[in-house]
Amino acid sequence: MVGFSELCRESGLAVGLSHTQEAIQASSLGFIHDEASFRYGLRSLFCTCGEEHQIFDKCFDVFWLKRKHTYAHKTSTGSTNITKKSKSSLVMAGFKPKGAEEPKEMEEASNVTGASKIESLKYTDFSKVAEMDSDFLDELTNKLLQQLNHRLKRKLQQSKRGPIDIRQSIRKNLSNGAELIDLAKQRKKKEKHRLVILLDVSGSMDKYSFYLLRFVWSLKSHLKNIEAFVFSTHLVRITEFLQQEQLTNTLLEMSHHARSWSGGTKIGECLADFNEQYAKRVLNGRSITIILSDGLDDGAPETMSEEIQKIKLRTSKLVWLNPLKGMEGYAPLARGMAAALPLVDNFQSAHNLQSLMELENILSDV
Amino acid sequence: MIEEVGQMMEDFDDLGYVVEEELATVLLLMTKLQKPLLLEGPPGVGKTEASKIIASYQDTDLIRLQCYEGLDVNSAVYEWNYQRQLLSIKISENKNTPASEVEDQIFGEDFLLKRPLLKAITASKSPVLLIDEIDRADEEFEAFLLELLSDFQISIPEMGTVQAVHRPIVILTSNRTRELSDALKRRCLYHWVDFPSFAKEYAILKKKNPEVDEELLRAIVSFVAQLRHQKLQKIPGIAETLDWANALATLQVQSLSSEVIERTLGCILKSNGDIDMVKGSLDSLLSEIAS
Repeated sequence: MVGFSELCRESGLAVGLSHTQEAIQASSLGFIHDEASFRYGLRSLFCTCGEEHQIFDKCFDVFWLKRKHTYAHKTSTGSTNITKKSKSSLVMAGFKPKGAEEPKEMEEASNVTGASKIESLKYTDFSKVAEMDSDFLDELTNKLLQQLNHRLKRKLQQSKRGPIDIRQSIRKNLSNGAELIDLAKQRKKKEKHRLVILLDVSGSMDKYSFYLLRFVWSLKSHLKNIEAFVFSTHLVRITEFLQQEQLTNTLLEMSHHARSWSGGTKIGECLADFNEQYAKRVLNGRSITIILSDGLDDGAPETMSEEIQKIKLRTSKLVWLNPLKGMEGYAPLARGMAAALPLVDNFQSAHNLQSLMELENILSDV
Repeated sequence: MIEEVGQMMEDFDDLGYVVEEELATVLLLMTKLQKPLLLEGPPGVGKTEASKIIASYQDTDLIRLQCYEGLDVNSAVYEWNYQRQLLSIKISENKNTPASEVEDQIFGEDFLLKRPLLKAITASKSPVLLIDEIDRADEEFEAFLLELLSDFQISIPEMGTVQAVHRPIVILTSNRTRELSDALKRRCLYHWVDFPSFAKEYAILKKKNPEVDEELLRAIVSFVAQLRHQKLQKIPGIAETLDWANALATLQVQSLSSEVIERTLGCILKSNGDIDMVKGSLDSLLSEIAS
């Protein structure tokens, strides 16, 4: 049994000492006399989710039935084009290789009218931040995020005037006999909004995706309840990668898992994926969904508006942040964007820090 | 299959429940090891039913705690009866009882309102405690449960620690709307409940609707099985199949035809989009069952 536990552990199941003990106990209870009972019993002990059944069954076959050994856990993870990955991780790190061709100017990106109104870096369009300034921008981001965090907290504190807490009141006023002089107020429990972020990392977003990802990453340390996804042609959940202490580690892990950075955009299909796999789990009446995308979609606009409609039904607020909106003369004319617009609660720009800070209003007044 | 499992399945069968071998094995192991059991699976596949089965099998009470977002200790564990406390303080005021005595009195067992978890721990015969849809509760509550599930004791600041007299049999269910913490999973046996096989669903239907024609029952089960392969927003569970069989029996339907299905589709499909889609492909679905 110890050997079997060892094998399971090596194959990636979380089997502890106590599990082994219980397994021994189970087999001495008679479960060992029959293959099926033994298998079902041990499986319920060793597995913690349905996906692990396959691994367990392989281990079981190998160990107890002496089947041929094939590593259950080493299913090929579909390694994709390495050069593409390295390029994309470079892009993600914010350092565009010299001479890397500028992403094709798409329908709307072409009418850039310049940034004559720039006052400070705060208002600088992300796409125009020089490499030199990027450190400074990081610092600024952090500072602003802290402010944002403070303000959010203050707003929450002011709303702490709830109904009377009878339990505390009685305790406090025991010495006064039954006269309730001091009333203990119940504090309103901090409302927990879950933030669900869908970030577009397709080619047309290249100039922005790093800063936006950085923004998402810093948000995570200030707000507890965040779910994040990136998409271009596929949808990838990055929530767990965000837990890294260092942004570079996050990027590293992401580059291992994410395919098709800087590829085409299939917003509709990715949102369909999201609806199918995650929406039920992550969206509820108190979640705010933020889509960060330029809305330049290769797919059919009908799919997109259909999927957005589905998201809207499940979430309390749907916000679309579009970096292109910051440009002068921009109008949401792209087919996808135009289709989505009527369904979106807030349509905001996301091209510079100032515009991202405006999220504060969205986050606080729900 | 070992003997005890077979025996258990027979007993379940007598009680009117259909349980497949794997679930029966796990249930047996749960009672032997006295470990909580975590049942996960899509809605409507009989997770809650499993706890009813074990309760009637063991002939004990079923104590149910329905989880929801914002579920707190006051509604899950215990609460003081404030009205009584206030009255009691008023009365003792006239008698000039010292404050410490009053305090002892009003924080006594008489003034305690037991909520499901405390009830389960103080029951005189070990009950079945069903913690339903644990994935809907907050993470804080999950952490609180950890303590309860490992030591089976609850501490009430005013009274001290209450230790379980008889260890309850604990069953947790989850629809997997969010991932549960590893710590909680580690303390539980795990069983994934999937949509039932043809044989199981047929057996259940037969048991609940013995008067309905077998051919019709078979058609119902295979139609629903076909539906589960479609891309639906909400896949029908066993409960829906039962409802539908009931509806068809009430309408005294003899065989499945597309008109009948169209009229009663609301019993199994609960979303407009799904209904429209299935209505469109009814004929092909029916011909697939026939073959």
